[in-house]
Amino acid sequence: MSKLARVMAAAGRGAARLVPAGRRDWVAAVWAEAHGVPPGVERLAWRAGGVWVLAREALLPRRIGRAVLFAVAGAGAAWAAWPQPATGHLAEGRFNAIATVLLVVAVLPLLSRRFFGPPSPGRVARSLRVLCGAAVLALVSASVILLVSNRLVPTRPAYRLIWCIAQGWSNTQGCGGVPGRSSGGPTWQAEILVMLLITGYVGLTLFLTSRRAQIARSTLAIGVGTGWLFGVVMLAVDPLGFSKWATNPWLPGSDVDPLVALAWILLFSGPTAAAVLASRRCRGPDGTRPPHNVRIGQGIAAGLLANGTAAMFTATLGTGTTLLTVRSPWLLHWFTHGRHMTALATYRYELNTAGHAGGYVLMLMFFPVIGLIMSSLAAAIANPAPSDVWSSRPGLPITYRK
Amino acid sequence: MSRVTSRPEFSAQTLSVLAALSEQPSQWQHGYALAKQTGLKSGTLYPILIRLSDRGLVEACWQAEPQPGRPRRHLYRLTAGGLASATGALAASAQQQPSGRQAAAAGARDARQPSGHGVAVPVVR
Repeated sequence: MSKLARVMAAAGRGAARLVPAGRRDWVAAVWAEAHGVPPGVERLAWRAGGVWVLAREALLPRRIGRAVLFAVAGAGAAWAAWPQPATGHLAEGRFNAIATVLLVVAVLPLLSRRFFGPPSPGRVARSLRVLCGAAVLALVSASVILLVSNRLVPTRPAYRLIWCIAQGWSNTQGCGGVPGRSSGGPTWQAEILVMLLITGYVGLTLFLTSRRAQIARSTLAIGVGTGWLFGVVMLAVDPLGFSKWATNPWLPGSDVDPLVALAWILLFSGPTAAAVLASRRCRGPDGTRPPHNVRIGQGIAAGLLANGTAAMFTATLGTGTTLLTVRSPWLLHWFTHGRHMTALATYRYELNTAGHAGGYVLMLMFFPVIGLIMSSLAAAIANPAPSDVWSSRPGLPITYRK
Repeated sequence: MSRVTSRPEFSAQTLSVLAALSEQPSQWQHGYALAKQTGLKSGTLYPILIRLSDRGLVEACWQAEPQPGRPRRHLYRLTAGGLASATGALAASAQQQPSGRQAAAAGARDARQPSGHGVAVPVVR
């Protein structure tokens, strides 16, 4: 056996350890069989097939894909949170935020598996989990970057005056902070609130997509689809934070703009429609219609998902858009309709925009609550309990009203 | 409305492996011989053998006495249940007439990968 062959064989044996113990014989079999294949291209092709078998049996596509995805997301988030000298102690706060989110995204699935069982079969549930994790990471990363830029005390006096006014001071008197450094992070109450929200969103998504919850694929699809539709409308209404001021480029000063009206309608009718549709579409494993309480549960899940998805969609993409606007002059130029703005006006616009992005928290808090209420009502009305109406007249056969 | 679909039990490639193994059911065969008989690549053949083994249709063992200068080979043959399943599946497959586009696809595949068994195979994913 040549030296190269021995090295290849050793590599094959080492690689076989990647697969579960019960599968190692098969991987070893492909490598061993390569010695019976004529040398040259044919043997190389055989070994390439062996690598594929190895990867397949080790479930590498799934495991490595998930690990790489998480590593990339984590690295991106860590890069966003990396402490910089100019940001002072705020950097520590945002690093904590990112670390907490990474922990939530990494640990909650394990806890979910322990308590709620594995994910529901099908791509919808798995995709929803991945999207939720990615959205949460992106949202928190973008938020902390915005927060840092918003809290950084400018060094030049004219800018500092604008910054102080944006922070709620009428002038620079009493306006704290060392120029060139951060003026401080959010209060611990605010941080805890955001972390609870994030944990709630991730936890709820994991539960709804777990086997124990038994949410039908159609329910997940209806809920998420409705949420995306509503989310697109909300993003058009509030592309730069939860503020009418920020939406001026889209909606010039009208309180009853059709898009705003549509958003209000969808806020209440979206979960309602999703609940009714999901409760009617769901079917048992044998294709029969499930009992009314199961249908109501499916309807509530769909409504909750609809508004929760819309809130997360709008908050994540809106915060991202705000960050891009602050960082990209061309986007700012586009949002301000090409209006010429001085450097000071631009700075003021960026500060206000970054400040308004925090308003998305309100959406994250209240949209799912509205979705829950509306879908509960709608599902209960659309799926009335089969009332046991016994005939009061004697002699008539017992009837059961369907 | 749920759509009712009928899927063959085995794929075309799996049927070709079963056919190769059922030619001499009592004989142990090694992977390269099966690959040559079926025209399958190792990356396709071994996952099929693994699945068949998981279902108890194929048994595998390591060669007792290796040939000098080369590692022991992994050998395969059908189990009793595997032979029954293979016989049934191959007979059903031979009776089944693929139609339309499926027939064309099956024909094209057979032309690319001559199995030499004359088995009309259903097209599956």
